[in-house]
Amino acid sequence: MKQVLVLLIVGSLLSCGAKHEQEKSLSPDAKSVVWQMPDTATYARVGKTKLSDYGFFKGKLANLEPTDRVFPYDINTPLFTDYALKKRFIYLPEGTEITYNEEDVLEFPVGAVLIKNFYYSHEQLEAGTGKILETRLLIHEESGWKALPYLWDPEQTEAYLEITGRQMSVKLASGIGVAYAVPNMQQCKSCHDIGGKIVPIGPSARQLNKVHEEGIENQLAQLVAMGWLKEAPAQDQWPLLVNWEDGSASLKDRARAYLEINCAHCHRKDGPAKNSGLDLTRNAAASTMGVFKAPVAAGKGSGGLKYDIVPGKPDKSILIYRMESNDPAIMMPELGRSIVHKEGVELIKEWVRGME
Amino acid sequence: MSRIQYYSISYHYFDKKPNLMIKETTIALLLGVLVLSCESNTYEPERQFEDIQQQLLSQFILAEDSTVIELPEGQFIFNNSLILDGKKHVTIRGKGMDRTVLSFKGQQEGAEGIRVANCTAITIEDLAIEDAAGDNIKITDTDGVTIRRVRSAWTGKVSEKNGAYGLYPVICKNVLIEDCEVLGASDAGIYVGQSEDVIIRNNKTWWNVAGIESENSENVEIYGNTAYNNTGGILVFDLPGLTRYGKNIRVYNNEVYENNLANFAPPGNIVGVVPKGTGMIVLATEGVEVYNNKIRDNKTIGVAIISYELVAAISAEGEASEGEGSAQTVNNNYKEDKNYNPFPRRIYVHDNEISSSYILPALNNDFGKLFLFNFGFSLPDIAWDGIRAPEYFAEDGTVNPEYMICIQEGEGVKTTDLDAANDFDKLETNPDIFKCKP
Repeated sequence: MKQVLVLLIVGSLLSCGAKHEQEKSLSPDAKSVVWQMPDTATYARVGKTKLSDYGFFKGKLANLEPTDRVFPYDINTPLFTDYALKKRFIYLPEGTEITYNEEDVLEFPVGAVLIKNFYYSHEQLEAGTGKILETRLLIHEESGWKALPYLWDPEQTEAYLEITGRQMSVKLASGIGVAYAVPNMQQCKSCHDIGGKIVPIGPSARQLNKVHEEGIENQLAQLVAMGWLKEAPAQDQWPLLVNWEDGSASLKDRARAYLEINCAHCHRKDGPAKNSGLDLTRNAAASTMGVFKAPVAAGKGSGGLKYDIVPGKPDKSILIYRMESNDPAIMMPELGRSIVHKEGVELIKEWVRGME
Repeated sequence: MSRIQYYSISYHYFDKKPNLMIKETTIALLLGVLVLSCESNTYEPERQFEDIQQQLLSQFILAEDSTVIELPEGQFIFNNSLILDGKKHVTIRGKGMDRTVLSFKGQQEGAEGIRVANCTAITIEDLAIEDAAGDNIKITDTDGVTIRRVRSAWTGKVSEKNGAYGLYPVICKNVLIEDCEVLGASDAGIYVGQSEDVIIRNNKTWWNVAGIESENSENVEIYGNTAYNNTGGILVFDLPGLTRYGKNIRVYNNEVYENNLANFAPPGNIVGVVPKGTGMIVLATEGVEVYNNKIRDNKTIGVAIISYELVAAISAEGEASEGEGSAQTVNNNYKEDKNYNPFPRRIYVHDNEISSSYILPALNNDFGKLFLFNFGFSLPDIAWDGIRAPEYFAEDGTVNPEYMICIQEGEGVKTTDLDAANDFDKLETNPDIFKCKP
């Protein structure tokens, strides 16, 4: 009897603990492995279905050789996206100009297109040659900016509009496996949003104020000389966002630059995460950028910690906890990465450790 | 924990009293308790998932203004959020909360199940949504939100690993949430934040940390809801450092009972301070009227009216023991927000039915111990922390009408001013002190 009783009780214990394993088809995750042609017939109403239709590049498309009205640029401190490299271009229609802006992104005329190609180099990949994964376009139309993601085919001959996004697994030479996510069209706006409108994030004067990695002249100076950029003040008045990896810059400036590009597109007064009350733009005051700031709606994102930043204590700071997570419910940024940016986390930790 | 205890007790018991009759009855009882104790906090509906992610994503993205997205009957699983952005007059309609199920179990990207942003007039109705990594439905920067006959749940055992909010409109206007069922949220089931003109009515919420929470919102009506088996039933909060502050809130005709669930919010979240056994809390908000509610069997307190100063003090206490930060820092942080007023004011609680059959409060929290210590077995039904704003008294010594705390309840409802600022020195239980009308 005793045994029966024990069995019964144990049985009933198990039946509460055990999960019902009835979900036969679980999450649709591995669908990315096989190349799937986007539904171009349906997407045609959204925009041009092929990247080559725009005529931004000459010769072999994958060489990304810009045509006359297409200007290559890079920025001082970029967003981390699973170590993918980027080739960026501005397309500016004939007879139009960009207007300088001291604080915000430069003002691009209607017709301008920002072109951002995401790729891994030969050296970065475990197998095969380097490859372009996707090209994102921000197109300035009369009604505002439009964001369109294009997916490159495996042969690297063309990129096709894919509005629903795509996941692909990429094995890096470092041994790291990346679940690279091409955003769907709605996700673009999850970051590119100020006051409910789609906006570019990168090309501000302080981000462009540098020599292109393959160039010899300051990019802003080039734009001015080409007659593409108007109302720019003298060069000594251009603001500068430091390169987050520049060891000669102050730790604080590097950290704030890193947070600005990786976080402040949402965490700013008029950004999508304004409801959190956290402002990570580079000049925000200590209390609004998280010092002893209690979370508002972080859920398990708090990690059991009380404040976004506890000076001197990176391990007690929610900010770092969330940068170190890969759980979609916890991780920050919410989009754009599938792995932790070790070097970025190190920088922010070091900065918090030194805070008083 | 409790299961193991049952087991060992039973085992012991049989060794001593080998009487078959007793044994069998006891077995039945014990098993009954065991089954109840797990089933009562576990939601495990049967699921056979289909994958329609690609089609539905495409529909969401291409939705034109005034589109109705009709979802078929079935159980569908997604690994990514469904996002609506910048659309007008779009309806997402299933075939009923028992027939159309959207599951985000094992979600890989995005924190929300459905995310709506920058829209006008969005309706989500007649479906169930489950197991999003973060919030099941989050709606932000939208004018015109209707969520109707939606079941929002986390399956499995109630756990701090569950997502934070079941239904979460934030920075919205003209919000209606009705006839929904919300369970399993590790923060609030229904949570309306930083919004304006809100109706939350006829919903059922259980197994959440907070059943219903209005935070920093203005012109909010919460009525006809049933909030039971949560940690706290209905919360009206104002928090510092946010885009706007709350006022003008009415909470009436709700049934709020047995909110005695252990608090399972991840630490660091404000609802983590809610003691289990709480019917309602009004925190730091202006102009709150609570009336005609049936509030019963919430172990610790029926209605608590508190200031953010108390919350800050509680957090500071926790910190001192962990040897980090200081109360001063916390205080300064919320005091830096010049637009924030940490005191509840113009509060009017009246004509509620409040009772509890519990003799002891929940003793796992300071409030419970405090109540037991100060009141013995005659627990208060409504408590004000009694922390007075500097402006509480007008120059002539009368109470500034802007800061009145008024409570008018029937005989038998016990009220108290805790005088928490002065170590409960002038703790007052005479109901006459609350006789006013703002």
